[in-house]
Amino acid sequence: VPDADLGALLGEVARGDQTAFEGVCAHSAATVFGVVRSVVRDPFQAEEVCQEVLLEVWRCASRFQPGRGSAMAWVTTIAHRRAVDRVRAERRLAQREQRATAHAIAYDEVAEAVQARLDQERVRRCLGALTELQRESVTLAYYGGYTFREVAGLLGVAEGTVKTRMRDGLIRLRDCLGAGR
Amino acid sequence: MRPRRPDPHTLAGAYALDAVTAANRARFERHLASCPACAGELAEFGEATARLAAAVAADPPGGLVQRVVVSAARTPQLPPAAARPSARWRVPHARQPRTFRPGRLPAHPRQRLRARLALALAAVFLGGAAASGAIALTAEHRLGVAELREHQIAQVLTAPDAVMLTARAEPRGTVTVVMSHRYRSLVLTTAGLPPLPDGRRYQLWLMGPSGDRSAGLLPPPHHGMTSPVIATGLGRGDRLGLTVALDGSRRPASAPVLMLNLTT
Repeated sequence: VPDADLGALLGEVARGDQTAFEGVCAHSAATVFGVVRSVVRDPFQAEEVCQEVLLEVWRCASRFQPGRGSAMAWVTTIAHRRAVDRVRAERRLAQREQRATAHAIAYDEVAEAVQARLDQERVRRCLGALTELQRESVTLAYYGGYTFREVAGLLGVAEGTVKTRMRDGLIRLRDCLGAGR
Repeated sequence: MRPRRPDPHTLAGAYALDAVTAANRARFERHLASCPACAGELAEFGEATARLAAAVAADPPGGLVQRVVVSAARTPQLPPAAARPSARWRVPHARQPRTFRPGRLPAHPRQRLRARLALALAAVFLGGAAASGAIALTAEHRLGVAELREHQIAQVLTAPDAVMLTARAEPRGTVTVVMSHRYRSLVLTTAGLPPLPDGRRYQLWLMGPSGDRSAGLLPPPHHGMTSPVIATGLGRGDRLGLTVALDGSRRPASAPVLMLNLTT
């Protein structure tokens, strides 16, 4: 789906057009659900967060500014942040309850789960082109929902290093994904 | 804790990956407002992370989109915002239900955090309930049992000692509980429990030092979710049980599908 179409639909949604909103959902629900499920993991919670995200898109469509990035990036930013907020609240509560439901997940676990679903060859290839530390930092943060501090703890690396690897990892990923798109 | 604060710009990658705490997020957004170069970099990172998202796309369960479209029809929209440099990156937070006022936020930071947590919970519960069409906190207020119950539910959700627990039921489904010992109550919703044949309902039990007592029946599910129910008379050391009951019977008709320890 050309992103311009999604952007145009968002413009109509901002004016209260429900048919356009159905179109937005048709274009973006799978991506939203996929990224939310990857971060939240629990399928029922993923469903709940996915609904919240799509409703948020309806509610806040007027805040989308086409000049500042693609429509899909706007939607996935909302989705990812919501998912991360949810999974962190869950982890905090689990810690407070001292329940073992949300222990730190080893990198291998996240990576394996993600690898199985990374169906876009190009993304897989570009992730593969990162250094190991860049890839681990980006993957744990984006698909695992961990803060850079937690990632540093999981990998046994200094926080500053992880922060830097996240940034230069994203720069390399951007260049790799952008080239010949 | 840290004597020198590093250049906020180094946070751009972590921020784009949502790998920052709320405090770091706010700090970076302040920086962003006065840094057009950062906004540009972030926009590019946004395109890259959108591809990471698309790479794990998966169809949502059937009916989800339809439910959202129905909910949207009765959800008010925000008017366009005045343009600001970083507005695109300000992601809206869980909204406060319109007819649900928790009062003033307390000034103490820890209490404020709790209040915000409670608000988020309230949004989850009431939002979920609104989506399932079960609880309607509308303007047409009739004083009655239903309204009193809604008030009690809101009280528990915003209680300063509110604690949320989520547990998996057998053989499937999740049960989410928010409890407050201050109000000796808990509020419970479920999602994805197996549907029951006619004449059977899920029954709640509180079991503990003061004996085992029924805490009521769950309403029939709507789209797989039950609207919030409140159980009162919660005591220290109680456990929560969920069984299948025959309509009109006070005895459980099954082994518990869930036993949840409520100790904090």
